[in-house]
Amino acid sequence: MITEYYRPESLAEAIDLNARTDSVVIGGGTIVNAQPGDVAAVIDLQALGLSGIERDGDHLRIGATTTLKAISDGPAVPTTLRDLARRELPSGLRERATLGGTIAAGDAESELLTALLAFGAILEIVDRDGTRSVDIPSFFAAPTGIIVAVDIPGTGTAATERTGRTPMDRPIVCAVSHRAPDGTVRLALGGVSDTPVTVDPAGIDDLEPPGDFRGSSAFRKHLAKVLAKRVIAAVGATP
Amino acid sequence: MTIDLTINGERRTLECEPHESLRTVLRRAGYHSVRFGSHSGETGAAGILLDGAFVSADVVLAAQAEGHEIETVEGLSGPREMHPIQQAFIDTGAIQSGYSTPAQILAAKALLNNNANPSEADVRLALSGVLDRETGYLRPVHAVRRAAAELLGEDPDDIDVVYLDQLVDAEGDHHDRDGISDIAPRVVPSEDVPETRVVGKPEAKTDALKLVKGNPAFTDDTDLSQALIAKVLYSPHAHARIVSIDDSKARALDGVHAVLHHGNVPRVRYASGGQSYPNPPPYDQVSFDDKVRYVGDRVAAVAAETEEIAEQALDLIEVEYDVLPAVFDENEAISGNAPVIHDEPDMEDAHDPSRNIVHHLEADTGDIEAGLAAADRVFEHTFRVHQVQQTPIEPHVAIAEWDSDERLVITTSTQVPFHVRRMVAPLLELPVKQIRIVKPRIGGGFGVKQEMLIEDIVGHLTMATGRKVRLELTREEEFISSRTRHPQTITYRSGVDADGKLTAQEMKIVANTGAYGTHGLTVQMVSGLRGLSSYNSPVKAFDCVVAYTNIPVPGAYRGYGAPQALFALECHMEDIAHELGMDPIAFRRLNWTTVGDPIDIAPQLGEGDLEEGVMPIINSSGLEEAVLQGERAIDWHRRTDQAWRQPPDRPHIRRGIGFAMAMHGTAIPGLDMGGASLKINDDGSFNLLVGATDLGTGSDTVLAQIAAEVVGVGTSDILVYSSDTDMTPFDTGAYASSTTYISGTAVQRAAEQVRDQIIARAALMLDAPADTIELHDGAAWTKDGRSVSHEAIALSSLHQEAQHQIMATASYVSPESPPPYAAQFAEVEVDIETGQVTVIGLVMAVDCGVAINPVTASGQVEGGMVQALGYAHCEEMVYDDDGRMVNAAFGPYRIYQADEMPHLEAILVQTMEASGPFGAKAVAEIPKDGVAPAVRNAIADATGAHINQIPFTPERVWRALNDA
Repeated sequence: MITEYYRPESLAEAIDLNARTDSVVIGGGTIVNAQPGDVAAVIDLQALGLSGIERDGDHLRIGATTTLKAISDGPAVPTTLRDLARRELPSGLRERATLGGTIAAGDAESELLTALLAFGAILEIVDRDGTRSVDIPSFFAAPTGIIVAVDIPGTGTAATERTGRTPMDRPIVCAVSHRAPDGTVRLALGGVSDTPVTVDPAGIDDLEPPGDFRGSSAFRKHLAKVLAKRVIAAVGATP
Repeated sequence: MTIDLTINGERRTLECEPHESLRTVLRRAGYHSVRFGSHSGETGAAGILLDGAFVSADVVLAAQAEGHEIETVEGLSGPREMHPIQQAFIDTGAIQSGYSTPAQILAAKALLNNNANPSEADVRLALSGVLDRETGYLRPVHAVRRAAAELLGEDPDDIDVVYLDQLVDAEGDHHDRDGISDIAPRVVPSEDVPETRVVGKPEAKTDALKLVKGNPAFTDDTDLSQALIAKVLYSPHAHARIVSIDDSKARALDGVHAVLHHGNVPRVRYASGGQSYPNPPPYDQVSFDDKVRYVGDRVAAVAAETEEIAEQALDLIEVEYDVLPAVFDENEAISGNAPVIHDEPDMEDAHDPSRNIVHHLEADTGDIEAGLAAADRVFEHTFRVHQVQQTPIEPHVAIAEWDSDERLVITTSTQVPFHVRRMVAPLLELPVKQIRIVKPRIGGGFGVKQEMLIEDIVGHLTMATGRKVRLELTREEEFISSRTRHPQTITYRSGVDADGKLTAQEMKIVANTGAYGTHGLTVQMVSGLRGLSSYNSPVKAFDCVVAYTNIPVPGAYRGYGAPQALFALECHMEDIAHELGMDPIAFRRLNWTTVGDPIDIAPQLGEGDLEEGVMPIINSSGLEEAVLQGERAIDWHRRTDQAWRQPPDRPHIRRGIGFAMAMHGTAIPGLDMGGASLKINDDGSFNLLVGATDLGTGSDTVLAQIAAEVVGVGTSDILVYSSDTDMTPFDTGAYASSTTYISGTAVQRAAEQVRDQIIARAALMLDAPADTIELHDGAAWTKDGRSVSHEAIALSSLHQEAQHQIMATASYVSPESPPPYAAQFAEVEVDIETGQVTVIGLVMAVDCGVAINPVTASGQVEGGMVQALGYAHCEEMVYDDDGRMVNAAFGPYRIYQADEMPHLEAILVQTMEASGPFGAKAVAEIPKDGVAPAVRNAIADATGAHINQIPFTPERVWRALNDA
């Protein structure tokens, strides 16, 4: 049960609080507040000024506490990411949930997170050792520190596909491809592993997706192949 | 801790705990419009504006709101004022139960603040965060667009009925469907229906004001500061004996006032289904047992000063279980090799508990084997229908307290207040007269509240503590511990002659009634009745075994056995037509029942009485017209257009259209009874007291319209007060599609007596013969145009001369159950590589007799179709190997949200049902019947895959496509 609430006024204060093992950082709090588990202290980042979308040349820097609603409404944000921020959650939650929280939660079937992987987003993370930049797979491997911002390439083309029970359902499997201006294509899949993953299209057969009632392992693998093929073709690459 | 924030423009300082949600704190501060739907925010019932943004207050800690500005619907308009968005929700018929209407209004306000002229897609996106189990979203979406227009200074047209030309016996296309607003109720008029002034008109809901303004209206919208909070300990095992319970640590916890379990609560057997006396057997439940039979079964209950203390107390109850083998599948349960679920020595009234067989039902109209032998061809198909939950956004909630006369008052969200009073009394060992049941507004019911589910728990706890006690189920508890729809395995065998006529039709069911038999008998009787009434056949036979298993308990769910039966029947008939090479509608038309046909299986399944010579006969059917209207609305002819069926630019997509017919009932004949009282007030208005229970369907409004029509006033002159066991006449309750027909006739009869009393007084005052006087427009009129107002009549009779309270009470029970008919169409797209089905459109043309209120009737159809779509497409209760539900939350348990809806259309085909009030038949349940088979038949049309199991999730469809 949550017994302590903190709203730090400085990043340093937040970093100190985050060193506790029973604390957790919240952006909007939509995930932690719904299922606090054994969290005792929450660290609310709202006073740190970490929200906002800035353009930096070909890149976008999106603050960690920027809401999904703000991303979906952000004119500078690539259309694919705007659409997927909108699909991520219904209104009422979309206005509270933040980009940093979405990444930290690492939901296997998050389309937005799958797209961030395909775009090659880089996270700016702070902890007692300072600031570091890591890609999302590295963060998943060692999820420590506080995400303060996300760097996203603002160029290239992208395509998305998903299969769900209903049009706005959390996808069973989703696929996002991103083709950079230099022709590099990156494919990411959701719903095939514990978190969304970047995948070499040739390596889909090696996936062993965890199955559940919405899709068995074999069905998810089948969807991964079908959807991957579609999104790769859609960005003009050969699968 | 304390927080400072601004609420509706007022600076407030509130006490809160760090873990408390903003919803909890706002409700405690009296903002009752912020409502509970789930802890995780996806229902949006607790929607508020936080610094202008629409957010679910469930997942905002109160502490996070420190320093921010909050707006609730209470701040939108003052007393006797109305914000344009609120008015638009009333005008468009966007409100059913109204539980989440405040949240929808705030979502709309946030949108319109940033976007004065939103598109439909914008509106749907804005409303996506408020789950609505009632309206199908069509009217709320239009309410927001109407409000936008109004705020831009436009003057939108009134919502009026659009009358469509009949197509039966017509040549060519007679009406232009273009330009009809999506929410204008569509009525195909019948010339048999007489002119009326109030009936048949789209009147605003009588209870709209309190709902649209978020005024306290629901059970939990009350001051709980002095109440104890109850929590229930549920079984973690699917089947276990309770070896021991040690409650000493829980009792010792500060703030705990009572801990109840089988050791300290009397063992009184009962059946929990809210049904007429005597309740159908078996009586296989007790308040607390020494055995648990499903994950979610009751073990113990506590009452404590706070929810947190109550939850701690549950953790401190030490229960030792002897875990037993469990069985979940209905066919395995009756195999003879399954664990015995009801082995208690006082078990009685069940068919064969040693084989888990609760009931074995048989009915036939002749020798089925001879009928099949007479056929040219015999067809057999087997179907499986699964378990789903009603999911009203307001979960079960009940509050018990002693009143100043020391009678026990239970305020509860129930469809059956009178049944609850009678049924709870013996469990509490109180006489019925010591109990009062109050039913405020209900935030959705759909059958799950046709049950005496938790009222005994709060009753026991109040009696144990002397305190006011409130129990509200969490969303997970609502899923696992309340009621659900019965799963069934259904096999049809039909014989068909060379002309395509049925020679015999047999239906066999193995039904799963879970751990207890509540509604297990009657739901399955309705399955047999509905499954063998749509079509004429010289011989019909029904055989049904109802099995106990260890799944959470099925009960009443809108449709009540018919959706299961009609899924199987309408797939079976489709497939016979397919195998015969006949048009699916033409084959059905050869066989479907119509005016004059007997409902010949009914007397053996509880309706009619063969020994008394009472055979139900069909008096009215608009089915032919409904089919033609539906074909036209869905563009049925596209089925033959190859370019449409297989769009060249989307190679993995196949399109199809499916049909199903539905025939339902209207109330339970000879059993369902409603009472009504009507009395005049000083100003010529009337109080209408009814025992009927408005679930949000608009029945209070419909009953007011009936009374208003008879006594010659407007609907707003009828003040409705419904269902309070101390205040209103008896009514069996809101179920079995009965309220308009049964309670409506009771109202009509009471009103006719009142009308006669008014006319008698008017005759004296006008010095005219009574039989020349008519009532309309709030006055009594002579043929020569003289009049005296209802007000003058009231003042005369109450105060001036030969004083007399003009009033009457009447009740009604019907010998008949006239069937409404419907033609249901569905259009789908199937991705043949992934199995994903997208439902593009649903059209239902329904003959509900005369719709007393075409807006509320259309709303019933729209919302009912969407619930039925969930059954067909995406909803399912899923369990792990130990019987624990793995998706007891919205999201994993998927219900449709506003921004993913198919096109919806309801068409009301009038017939004049002579037995109903002003020609009415039922409309509430029939929308649940046809969607699943229509979607299934559309998938078959699109892909050739005939799938006999719902729901049509991607993997199931993909596997069927691979097998096809």
